[in-house]
Amino acid sequence: MSGGHEGSGFVPRHFVLAEYPTTDALLQGTKEVRARGHKSVDTHTPYPVHGMEEALGIKRFKIPFIVLMGAIAGAVIAYSMIYFCNVIDWPLNVGNRPPHSPPANIPITFELTVLLASGSAFMGVFALSKLPMPYHPVFESENFLRASVDAFFLSVEVPAGVNADKVAEDVRAAGGQSIEIVEESER
Amino acid sequence: MAAPNLANLSNDPLEPRVLIEGKQTDATLNDSLLQHVWRGAGKGWWACFSVALALLGLLVVAVTWTLYKGIGSWGNNIPVGWAFGIINFVWWIGIGHAGTLISAILLLLQQKWRTSINRFAEAMTLFAVICALLFPLIHTGRPWFAAYWLLPYPSTNGIWPQFKSPLVWDVFAVSTYFTVSLLFWFLGLIPDLASLRDSSKSPIKRRIYGLLAMGWRGSGRHWAEYKWAYLLLAGLSTPLVLSVHTIVSFDFAVSVLPGWHTTIFPPYFVAGAVFSGFAMVATWMIPARHFLGLKHVITIRHIENMCKVMLATGMMVTYGYIMEHFIAWYSGNPYEFSQFFRVRQRGPMAPVYWLMIFCNVLVPQLFWFKRVRTNLAIVWIASIFVNVGMWCERFTIVVTSLHRDFIPSSWKMYAPTWVDISLFAGTIGLFSTLFLLFLKFVPAVAVTEVKELRHEMAHDAEPRAAGGAH
Repeated sequence: MSGGHEGSGFVPRHFVLAEYPTTDALLQGTKEVRARGHKSVDTHTPYPVHGMEEALGIKRFKIPFIVLMGAIAGAVIAYSMIYFCNVIDWPLNVGNRPPHSPPANIPITFELTVLLASGSAFMGVFALSKLPMPYHPVFESENFLRASVDAFFLSVEVPAGVNADKVAEDVRAAGGQSIEIVEESER
Repeated sequence: MAAPNLANLSNDPLEPRVLIEGKQTDATLNDSLLQHVWRGAGKGWWACFSVALALLGLLVVAVTWTLYKGIGSWGNNIPVGWAFGIINFVWWIGIGHAGTLISAILLLLQQKWRTSINRFAEAMTLFAVICALLFPLIHTGRPWFAAYWLLPYPSTNGIWPQFKSPLVWDVFAVSTYFTVSLLFWFLGLIPDLASLRDSSKSPIKRRIYGLLAMGWRGSGRHWAEYKWAYLLLAGLSTPLVLSVHTIVSFDFAVSVLPGWHTTIFPPYFVAGAVFSGFAMVATWMIPARHFLGLKHVITIRHIENMCKVMLATGMMVTYGYIMEHFIAWYSGNPYEFSQFFRVRQRGPMAPVYWLMIFCNVLVPQLFWFKRVRTNLAIVWIASIFVNVGMWCERFTIVVTSLHRDFIPSSWKMYAPTWVDISLFAGTIGLFSTLFLLFLKFVPAVAVTEVKELRHEMAHDAEPRAAGGAH
């Protein structure tokens, strides 16, 4: 492992990657590694694992709030759009209905509420997960191909100035198997 | 991996049929559910695909002719001339509803059996809505102007859409429905695209699936927000799917035409939509599970449950028919009475009406019997009857009401032109083409969700296997 590449100013990040045989072992291992003071711990599993949020120490989810904001924005935009068009800008007399007739505005208001709420849920996941991110150092490991198939992984980012072997030792003590240290490649 | 392999993962003593057959692990599920993507297209696929492409060609001809000649080629000089456009729009959009019901409503109701069929049904939703959208788009005659009339944007016309019209509500409802279904489908697909990326052998496929998977790495932090987003999308899709066919039914119910002007239309249309959608899912799923080797995850129990949903929604549709007739008599309105008791039952279109009653009221009664529900051949044929019956329902509603309205000058017999028939057959081709491509390039079953379900069931079964109480 070299510290930094000469000239380019690129300092590769290092990750310790460990495999666990079962989801229960992974949950236990995640808690132990975090208890040893490691901050940027993540797990990689083919499907969501029950209880992983607690193990990773995630307390608050941001998506519900984002979706609520999207829903409110959708409702406000829709209703004010209809109001502006049919009452302020160009009142159109159709069958002598009043220009502002609330029941007729419900369907479009509802649809745009759902549209913007769903759009913000979708965009929210990508924004919060910082995806699309085609390259991540954990992909350097050949073994990691199984993370989306049938294997359960734990990854710890090695903080700058810390010896990766020391982190690996902690992960091993927390039950991690086939431990690898992966280095980010320059691209 | 080391997760326990239990031969029979059924843990409900009242439901001995399993959702996942055989001894499965994450790895075997991954292999068996992705193998239909990796293997080359067989003769059967090519045969179906060429038929579908031929029909798609017919669609191109019919659309070109409509645009070249004008909508007069549909016979549109009397109100009933629009019939095929309306019928097919409503029919296709209804077919889409099963997908959202399976993916969203059954998710909220925690129905585990939805897991192996949701991807399949959601894809059908998308393709059915594309076919449906074609009709209102083409019926404007000059679709490239349609945006001027339908979408509220500040144009030099200086005029806005008429927001009190159900037809404008429809534009918002159907386009929202398509967009949300697409987002929901793609979000569910991302982990599967990642496993396609990671298990692909060729570098080109790996690159393509890798691009689509957006660098998904199964991170626990990502899953946490992902699960929330998926659940909220399901929660949002649930009222959405109910609203879409409700708004479609407003197109009819808000008018004053005898046979259309009824308050029962919204629930009756939604039930009919789910009914026809499940029938279409069954029609495609029964052959697909056989040819794609998916029998271990789409079991007899799935087919049986779908039959039960068809039975329930078929009964709701039947109730709708009974109420329509009751109100026509009870209201004392002579036009309504004549519409339901003379024109529909004894008029020139009566055979379609009686075919509808046979397909939608009598055929689903077969599903009361377990022997029928577990007999794939009968279920498949019955599902085709339901598809036909629901098309006849839309035909009856649209044509009989429009060809005998209040003004005798607009009365005329209805016959579709060759363009009408080609457009309808063509959309079946479009749907089939899209669907066959989907089956070739995307896992037909949500692999990630099936693995999760297997893991969950194995976890639940553990204490039982050890002899302890749960």
